[in-house]
Amino acid sequence: MATAWFSAPAPIARRVRGYFAPVNRIAQTPVLFDPSEEGRFSLNAPPSPWISLGWIQEFTRKAGSKTATVLTGIPAAALEQVRETLEAQVSFEFLSWTKLTMALATGSQHMNLLTSASGSTASADGAQAVTAVVPQSGSTATFIALAATDASKFAANSIIAVDADYTGQTGFVGTPVSGAYVRTALTDVDYIRRVTFNLALVSAVATTGTTGLTLAEALPGGAPAAGAKLQTVTGFVDREGGSFYQEWSALFVMEGNQGERIFYHYPRLQSMASAQEVALPLDGKSKEGLARIALKGQFLALPIIDPLDGERVVCYRSFLPAANALV
Amino acid sequence: MQNAKDSFYMALRTRLAAINPERTILLRGAVRPGILVEEAEAPLSQIPNDVYVLRWIGLCVDLDQASPMVAEQCEILYQTCGTQSFGGLDRGRTLSEMDEEVAAMVQPFYTPKLNYTATPPAEMITKVFWDEPRFSPIVTQRDLLSRSANLMVYSYQEQGE
Repeated sequence: MATAWFSAPAPIARRVRGYFAPVNRIAQTPVLFDPSEEGRFSLNAPPSPWISLGWIQEFTRKAGSKTATVLTGIPAAALEQVRETLEAQVSFEFLSWTKLTMALATGSQHMNLLTSASGSTASADGAQAVTAVVPQSGSTATFIALAATDASKFAANSIIAVDADYTGQTGFVGTPVSGAYVRTALTDVDYIRRVTFNLALVSAVATTGTTGLTLAEALPGGAPAAGAKLQTVTGFVDREGGSFYQEWSALFVMEGNQGERIFYHYPRLQSMASAQEVALPLDGKSKEGLARIALKGQFLALPIIDPLDGERVVCYRSFLPAANALV
Repeated sequence: MQNAKDSFYMALRTRLAAINPERTILLRGAVRPGILVEEAEAPLSQIPNDVYVLRWIGLCVDLDQASPMVAEQCEILYQTCGTQSFGGLDRGRTLSEMDEEVAAMVQPFYTPKLNYTATPPAEMITKVFWDEPRFSPIVTQRDLLSRSANLMVYSYQEQGE
């Protein structure tokens, strides 16, 4: 017989799902998640600008905050507690290798290997690239209009990077995500496209009629901005070393079997460990056999000022109970 | 506990009808999706080919929770000789199709709990959920290939159950 409520035991969750959104590094503005407004979003379709990075595993939170007691009297007794330091760390393993997961799981900037020009001198992070082409008007986030001669330079199933030429500026560069911080002016006109996150896979090339590239996924930055150009990408590279730290807003979701949800929202998360991988044997009985190579990410949470009361915080944990569960 | 077993069976039956509408069985004069509960039918001397038979095996109860949790082990048995049109030479492929159907039927890994003794069935307030199926090795008997998938089905006991 049905009743109107039940005493909910501890949530039982299968896995953890991770979502990231770019922090505006120039304005130092993180993306905030409001569980009261967005808490029931479809896990396969997160609200903008959150990007799903799929299921993650070995999700571990570690609070490094320290408290101390203020003592008074003889013999001394605790009068009150104060928070001495505020720190939290998060670590987990990505179950896929993509531009974004690789970038998040490395401690420095993450670069695109642009297709090299014929005869160019070899370089560890990509030789001199082929000349970029200019999108035509009418381009969208999923279609890049090109002149027929330019379109013929691309092939279906290739990856493209779309961003502006580098013109000697310093500071954060890359749209819509800051991919690097330039300390001193460089000479590589393709530098921004080497570090941009504005990538997509080409699904079809049209060299007649409405000529251009149809994309299998929308460009993260939307329709190409004025001044943007595109080049093909053959892969990705990151380096041990460097001084740039990736910073993202992060959201982790555990969905219980009764529909309850636990959210961990870190407004500012910086990668804190160098690139590392974990080999996970496919057959637990055969450690020497096939293994899945998972990217391991380790992050340091940085504080924000909560406008509600001016407190400095590094993480929000939210819980949306199951329907009909006693609270 | 019976509500959880009924809900699990009906969820799989509904999903099977959507995944492969052609997999049916003529049972007690009615054509139904090709999945049945062994303990709810007349005793079978041999399980029928090309359909799924649910067999309930183990039972565990955790009384330490805010609501008692029940875990029931379910075995999904199935077997095939392939099709006559191919002289049974497609029995491996047919079994693979059934494997894929089982993997598809169990997703998502939860379903609302309903009380099927009421008409129409009354939706209860918790969900029934289960883990990934563990497939057994294939057993070959002449031209018959059979396999089973085991999974644990969990539910909370509600007031009045």
